[in-house]
Amino acid sequence: MANPKTVLFKIKRQAAPGAQPHWEEFELAWKPGMNVTSSLMEIAANPVTRAGKATTPITYDSNCLEEVCGSCAMLINGRARMACSALVDQLDQPIRLEPFSKFPVIRDLAVDRSVLFENLKQVKAWVPIDGTYDLGSGPRMTMEDQEAAYPLSRCISCCCCMEACPQFNESTGFVGAATISQVRLFNTHPTGAALKRERLAALMGDGGIQECGYAQNCVEVCPKDIPLTRSIAEVGGEVMKQAIGDLFRK
Amino acid sequence: MAATASPPAPISVKSGVAPLRAGQGYSFLLRRLHSLSGIVPIGAFLVEHYVSNTEAMKGPAAYNATVKFLNSLPFVLSLEWGLIFLPILYHGLYGVWIWYRGEGNAGDYPWMGNWMYTLQRWTGGIAFAYIIYHTWTMRFTGVHLATEPDAGFDKVYRALYGHPWVVLFYFVGVLAASWHFAYGIWLFCAKWGITTGELARRRLGYVCLVIGLGMAGIGVYSLTGFLSYLAPTPGSTVTLLRH
Repeated sequence: MANPKTVLFKIKRQAAPGAQPHWEEFELAWKPGMNVTSSLMEIAANPVTRAGKATTPITYDSNCLEEVCGSCAMLINGRARMACSALVDQLDQPIRLEPFSKFPVIRDLAVDRSVLFENLKQVKAWVPIDGTYDLGSGPRMTMEDQEAAYPLSRCISCCCCMEACPQFNESTGFVGAATISQVRLFNTHPTGAALKRERLAALMGDGGIQECGYAQNCVEVCPKDIPLTRSIAEVGGEVMKQAIGDLFRK
Repeated sequence: MAATASPPAPISVKSGVAPLRAGQGYSFLLRRLHSLSGIVPIGAFLVEHYVSNTEAMKGPAAYNATVKFLNSLPFVLSLEWGLIFLPILYHGLYGVWIWYRGEGNAGDYPWMGNWMYTLQRWTGGIAFAYIIYHTWTMRFTGVHLATEPDAGFDKVYRALYGHPWVVLFYFVGVLAASWHFAYGIWLFCAKWGITTGELARRRLGYVCLVIGLGMAGIGVYSLTGFLSYLAPTPGSTVTLLRH
């Protein structure tokens, strides 16, 4: 590699939601410890392509810069992952950056991930408490339940699990692993369990848990190491129990 | 003002994946029926079929006796249609629909589970194509074995002997069906919440590997039972001599 060391980026750009995407190349001076987000910041400071042509800064989502906010997810060398924790030294060059392919592009690398929010609303992913008066302390959770629930609570809504899922597409309208895992989280919660039946019933609708093909990409790409396949299996069992039980109860 | 400006081309904004449709549709029932039908009755029949076919190793008489026995079962036509043909037709056609709607991405995410996802679709497709060919040639055309069970061995033998491509298709079909069934058991247990734990799924993976290899072995073993015979005696349907 030539000295001084440089880093090459190929970035898929799109000016507006309906616009034709195109590729631009950028070459940056190598710095120790640089990651994809810091590289995008550098491009923003000096938005000139590799060929020396002035261009617009690249639009992308980012916030926390430490893999806890979930906003900077994108396709890096073809795979769904967080830009902030994607270290340049560990990536093959040229580093290809693309927006998520299954979400509507807003501009450049920024996409609209509101489908996850809609899904979470559909399964009532919250703990129902009134809030108008003091309810006192909630029921106690066993240590075991806490330890099972904590990893699930780390979901950062990045949507990597959905982007990487072969079943998550416009044809199936699959809900995706993140929402199923949140159903497990809130059903585990002693107060949240009040809505358990409704959550499980919601997952039986079109696009529900049945669309899972168990390709297990979700658990591989999850930046927070959430046991998503376990969640799908456990919630899948709960859904089946409820479905079969309802055959006799209803 | 010149009226030359044409309206801009309509922009097709990608709408994205639809959110969950809670309380809507029957896909849950259909998909779970698809999953269940693969184990019972189709999987159960597959095991029976493989085991029955090993009688071919004992020669035409033993094989034809099995054909006779199976055709002597009460309500045999209802059993055939209700537990074999219709379930396979449903499982196959709905399976093609599942395959069509999925977007396999094993190239971008080349992990074991994802390859198995892709292979499950291919083996299912191959097995379905094979089963259509197999039932068409063995059950719905040619000598009717329900009325002439003594022609059983001869019919299979004549289909295979001197037709290397048919033999190859039989081998491929048997292997695809074995693979699809074995991994299908694994998928069934994961999706129905039987093996929820990581360790349990891994252990079941080994069990299913043994089941798959065992099934493939039994299938190939039966096929060699037919292939180990010489050409049929002209004008005869049953008298085949061991080499």
